[in-house]
Amino acid sequence: MNLPADKFKGKFQKTIYLTCNSFSVQGIGAIIVIVAVSTAALLAGLITVHPSNLPSGAPFTPPCVEHFLGTDDLGIDIWSQIVYGGRTSIYVGIGTALLAGVAGALAGIAAGYFGGHTERLIMRLTDIMIILPDLPLLILVGAFFGPGINNIILVLALFSWTHPARIVRSKVISIKEENYIKAAVSFGAGFRHILLRHFLPGVMPLLSVSVIRLTGRAIVAEAGLAFLGLGDPLSKSWGLILNHAINFRGIYFTPFWKWWLMTPLIAITLLVFAIALVARDLEKKINTKGVIS
Amino acid sequence: MRKPLLGIDNLSVRYNTRGEHSEILDRVSIEVEEGGSLGIIGETGSGKTTLAMAVMRLLDKKADIAGEIIFRGKNLLGVTPKEIDAIRWSKISVMFQNSLDVMNPVLTILEQLSECIVRHCGASKKDAEKKSYELLDSVGLDRGTALLYPHQVSGGMRQRALLAMAISCDPEILIADEPTSSLDSSLKGEIIGLLSELQKKNKFTLIVISHEISTIYELTSRLAVMYRGRVVEEGVTREVLINPMHPYTRGLINSSPDINPYRDLWGIPQNRIEQKNAGCVFYSRCTQRESECRDKKPELEYAAIERKVACNRGGIVPILQGRSLNYAYQSSGMSIKACEDCSINVYSGEVTALIGESGSGKSTLAALLAGVFSPDSGTVEFNGNQVTGNSETSKNGGLQIIFQDPYTSINENFTVMDAVSEPLVISKKFKSDEIINTVVSTLNEVDLPSEQVFLERRCHTLSGGERQRIAIARALVMRPSLLIADEITSMLDTSTRANIIRMLKGLQNTKGFAMLFITHDLAVAGKISDRVYLMKQGKIAEKGSVHQVLHRIDSEREYTGSFFYNNLKS
Repeated sequence: MNLPADKFKGKFQKTIYLTCNSFSVQGIGAIIVIVAVSTAALLAGLITVHPSNLPSGAPFTPPCVEHFLGTDDLGIDIWSQIVYGGRTSIYVGIGTALLAGVAGALAGIAAGYFGGHTERLIMRLTDIMIILPDLPLLILVGAFFGPGINNIILVLALFSWTHPARIVRSKVISIKEENYIKAAVSFGAGFRHILLRHFLPGVMPLLSVSVIRLTGRAIVAEAGLAFLGLGDPLSKSWGLILNHAINFRGIYFTPFWKWWLMTPLIAITLLVFAIALVARDLEKKINTKGVIS
Repeated sequence: MRKPLLGIDNLSVRYNTRGEHSEILDRVSIEVEEGGSLGIIGETGSGKTTLAMAVMRLLDKKADIAGEIIFRGKNLLGVTPKEIDAIRWSKISVMFQNSLDVMNPVLTILEQLSECIVRHCGASKKDAEKKSYELLDSVGLDRGTALLYPHQVSGGMRQRALLAMAISCDPEILIADEPTSSLDSSLKGEIIGLLSELQKKNKFTLIVISHEISTIYELTSRLAVMYRGRVVEEGVTREVLINPMHPYTRGLINSSPDINPYRDLWGIPQNRIEQKNAGCVFYSRCTQRESECRDKKPELEYAAIERKVACNRGGIVPILQGRSLNYAYQSSGMSIKACEDCSINVYSGEVTALIGESGSGKSTLAALLAGVFSPDSGTVEFNGNQVTGNSETSKNGGLQIIFQDPYTSINENFTVMDAVSEPLVISKKFKSDEIINTVVSTLNEVDLPSEQVFLERRCHTLSGGERQRIAIARALVMRPSLLIADEITSMLDTSTRANIIRMLKGLQNTKGFAMLFITHDLAVAGKISDRVYLMKQGKIAEKGSVHQVLHRIDSEREYTGSFFYNNLKS
């Protein structure tokens, strides 16, 4: 999409226009969902009436005007829990993805650029990480490190960096063979210049898609850990709400699951699905040229 | 060695005009053997005609003359006016540059001829007339023309009449000043034929002053090249013209279609920088000047057998020397030889073409020369420095390589500004406004727009031709003294190719950098290059000046059923 820059008055307008043109209808819907969920999580204090950690009504209140997603077994407002829990989930998702993305990119660039032993070492490491079954190890390491939201991010990142590392490495290898790198080297460019001017801009599009995908994956993984009781009991995430709901004996014999169990489930699904859609649209844009055009 | 008939030794001439001194000749030393022939070549204003006038002692009143002109052991500058009168015309005569005003308009050709004979040879008027008619016969003029006035005859006839006058007293030395310059080509041929015929018959010593290479080439056996009152190169005519050793001589030859008619014409660019009196006269236009040349005047010294050159650097210097380079690609245990014992020289200010079929190892050799690959054995020297890795390509004023494929040689996510300024940014020696100025002026040089909008465009939005220009600009911002152009036009369409080659050759000519032009296209190589190397299967198969090699290839095509040429063309 090459439009003359002066057609738009402001940069913001141009961005909006280009976004609408670049993404499919689903993609735009997904962006709206992501923006809405993130805003809600950020402005949690403004859009909730009840506290998320204290009872504010009778237990098991079905959705009503006062508690429009109902309350749980302790009478805590579920809407508040979902909104505050979104904070944790998004924090874990983005934190994990960024950490894994940065670490993976560094490992991938090192492997791709230096080659030789460095490459062999890093690539064997990724192979090992890939064949190891994620969940049992996550449980093990999660239990070992102990609960704590930052520990969870660390643990999840540990199992996520291999994907960005591999795609970055292959991209770096292909860029490294380009004549413009030979030219830059002939001008006397050092690693720093090549990294900052050629490699990073070159891998950024692919890396960003990878990071977005990792975000979705991390949100699910965190929910899974919390669901299994390995989450941080102090920071209430969507997984933890699920965990509480499922642990309520006989929840399926009661109508409570309709609001207590379903709402966190829907929240997770909606956000992860939206992230996946955005990643898909971005990937399509990149495939032809390696550029987000 | 025979004693020279005419020896000019350290001759300096200065014209005095209103107190201003202008040095026309500066310590010129030339010798001519008896019966020999000498050509003096140079651009207008180089002092050729002044030299002839000085020999004839026609400058006495106008100029300060120093030095010696020895004719048969006698210094012509020391003799009395009476003695010189005896020598002038009867011993040394001049055929002046052809124009109406060299003849007296109120005398007929016959009158002028016989006057000359009476005055200088001491013949009676009757004998003189008889001799005049004989002379007219010998220069191929009809006797009827004798009674015409100068303005009634054509230029060619007037030239013949002037020649008749010049040889009227059987001189020992004939100085022909621009004998052919205002004539058309068939007349030129006739006059040249006439002069050499007469020289054979009358056995006079011939000095031809001309700016025309073809005339000099056909009439003379030795040649002196003059520039701004200095002899810059001297040697055997054929040798000098085929293998010039002074940048000025090369420039003259490149400006003349006579030697190689296929080649494009490129004059020597005019002064680009200030010239000091103390320095080398060619300093301001030279392609290989050094700081020393600004202050030191080079002396005419032997540079090879029978060849003298006045250059502080000893003549045209090789800027890049590859010596017995070997390189083999290693792939899965196999070793594929791409370059075997390749030696190549690129001379300062010249375009050297490296021709070969695809797969003959041209690009590998280019990469070796630029330091992109390091050779298995052999050395590459650039300006006397060993080339290792990017040692020369990262320098300002060093060596730059332009790759074949403009689509991969530039990061297409870069803006034009980023792409062109990259070498400057990497070198970290320039301020940002310097970088912007350099980029803008270089973009102008390669005929690209330099407006802000264009500078901010991403390279993937540009066409192949534009990107190749960007690649050229990126190489030029480092002000290279050697540019290696590796098949830079093979991926472009015909018209774009023509434009880019002409632009590059033009830049090469004005900026004076040397170029190694790698191509599979013989015709293109013939158009722009000075020297040619031909590669076949990893080896240098032929080398030489462009017309030699192309001539050989042409004749080979005729005799051997053209396999060679076709291979190259495809």
